[in-house]
Amino acid sequence: MTDTRVRTALHWLLGAWMALVIAAAFFWAPAAAGFKGESSRIVFFHVPQAWVAVLAFCVNLVASLRYLRTRNPLDDARAAAAARLGLIFSLLATVTGSIFANVMWNSFWNWDPREVSIAILLLVYAAYFALREAVPDEERRASLAAAYAILAFVTMPFLVFVVPRIYWSLHPDTIIGATGKLKLQMESRMLQTLFGSLVGFTGLFFWLYTLDVRLARVRLARREREEE
Amino acid sequence: MAGISVEFSRVGKRFGARPVLAAVSGTLRPGEVLVVAGPNGAGKSTLLNILAGVLRPSRGAVSYRRGDVDVPRRDWFENLGMASPDMAVYDELSALENLRFFGRLRGHAVADATLGGLLETLGLPAREHHRPVGTYSSGMKQRVKLAQAALHAPAVLLLDEPSSNLDAAGHEAVAALVARFRPHAAVAVATNDPREIAWGDARLDLAL
Amino acid sequence: MRASTLLSESLAVLGKELISELRSRVALNAIGLFGVTTLIVVAYQIGPYQIQEQDRPHLLSALLWIILFFAATSGLSRVFVKEEDAHTAKALRLAARPLAVFAGKYLFNLILLIALFTLIVPLYCALMGYAVRGVAGLVLVLAAGAVALAATATIVAAIIARASGSTTLFAILSVPLVLPLLVMLIQGTRAAAASAELAAVVPALQGVVSLGGAVLTVSVYLFPVVWHD
Repeated sequence: MTDTRVRTALHWLLGAWMALVIAAAFFWAPAAAGFKGESSRIVFFHVPQAWVAVLAFCVNLVASLRYLRTRNPLDDARAAAAARLGLIFSLLATVTGSIFANVMWNSFWNWDPREVSIAILLLVYAAYFALREAVPDEERRASLAAAYAILAFVTMPFLVFVVPRIYWSLHPDTIIGATGKLKLQMESRMLQTLFGSLVGFTGLFFWLYTLDVRLARVRLARREREEE
Repeated sequence: MAGISVEFSRVGKRFGARPVLAAVSGTLRPGEVLVVAGPNGAGKSTLLNILAGVLRPSRGAVSYRRGDVDVPRRDWFENLGMASPDMAVYDELSALENLRFFGRLRGHAVADATLGGLLETLGLPAREHHRPVGTYSSGMKQRVKLAQAALHAPAVLLLDEPSSNLDAAGHEAVAALVARFRPHAAVAVATNDPREIAWGDARLDLAL
Repeated sequence: MRASTLLSESLAVLGKELISELRSRVALNAIGLFGVTTLIVVAYQIGPYQIQEQDRPHLLSALLWIILFFAATSGLSRVFVKEEDAHTAKALRLAARPLAVFAGKYLFNLILLIALFTLIVPLYCALMGYAVRGVAGLVLVLAAGAVALAATATIVAAIIARASGSTTLFAILSVPLVLPLLVMLIQGTRAAAASAELAAVVPALQGVVSLGGAVLTVSVYLFPVVWHD
């Protein structure tokens, strides 16, 4: 089974990589100037979490669109798996952001546009699962959830791109500035750690996602056998 | 216009973990009445809903065929009439307004006199046609529902417990309706009533 | 193939909705009562003089949309929920094209919203002493708001009617979708109140109209899935 061996190797590599990222975040990268104490180190976890929350939203969209075309229950399982991880990671991003806000500005919540955006993403995920819970019929649940996911995806850009620009923001500049050019004035060791962490978290997402989908595949196959 | 036959192969449905219908196959042929019989909970209504295309089966497939040509799914409904216990017409509208509404939707600009005639053959006297359906007895509602199903002379007629809530005269009216459709349409009747089982040219028994 | 056109089918659905509503008045009563009640509470407890002058532009526009949105929420989901509750959905599903059902129901919700706005907005301006400089601008913002809110409400109503049909679920599903829209509408209303120039409301109008258009466009594709499955 080379497939299993590759999977095991990847999963050990991911563990080592994440350990390295954590070590680098605390010991290798310097604390950024202009932030209270060591508080800037949270960026190495907060930004990748927010990234994974958005990535999960996109994976969910692709799986939902595919479900409506193929009607394959596995595609619905894929969409649900991505949304589950998106819910967890948007929760983590909200909490880490809130901790950072409290250290920097002495308040857990400032109604900053980016806080509002991630909170609404969180609400969308919560609504998605509230909808799934409310439909007992599996085929209908899959279609309704897919429809809602697509609808939410269409309205999200208006939130992220229309609303925040109107407000003034406390949030430190994102990595990609408003002009679309990469802002590379971050210290290079910090930047390396951040990108390393982004890669690590993306890997973590896909590992957890694949586990969930494999589990769903086994469940579907078992039910198929039972019905034969 | 040639009639439509409905073929279904190994259709099954599960609600959550609970199977309600296990892999049944069969065909509805024009000029034939298929009786679907079986105890309560055996999946008669589920099967009819799947045949109508209003419920997606968990497995198996349904196809409508006119001669050798496949009828695309989006054209099923216009060739279909259906009456079932989980259906209702609008309480706020009168019987005639209901039929006029469904007629307009289906593009059949049927004259009021024809609609009234249809209601009368199903045993709803003319003096009742203008009252809101909400004030009707359940038997009268059942007659309006049957008129709704037959209104556009569909090629496929699906009747789920058509005589429920009806008296002996009502049962006769349903029998006459089925007799009128039998020569050209494909008819399915889901029932436990021995009088209705007797209408069948073919019979499908569902078990629990 | 079909004898009826999409337009005539849509109008038949709209006509049926209007007749049913005129005879039962459930949605009109719910929306109207909810709107008037919250308006009276706000006007009585806050009124024109309780708000500091510098806060008036922000608070008055936000309060107006809170009243309008919550009144709308109480009635707009009924278009689909009542079809499932009364078991009439199946007959409608079999007889009408999905797009005609969506169009008829959307137009009905739009009419309900316009009626609500016409009732509440003048009353609100009078009771709260809300001086609006750009009346034409405000009317445009309200019209765009009605078009966009009706679109979101109609498709979400279609989804929840096929789920549990509860108004709680309607609120849970629509809030994240409607929040950006409400923010834009509040900003547009503030701009219209402050300036007689139509140009002042253009940024908000652009946002609202494009969001409404986007929701309507995807709804056309999503509705058949939601309605039939």
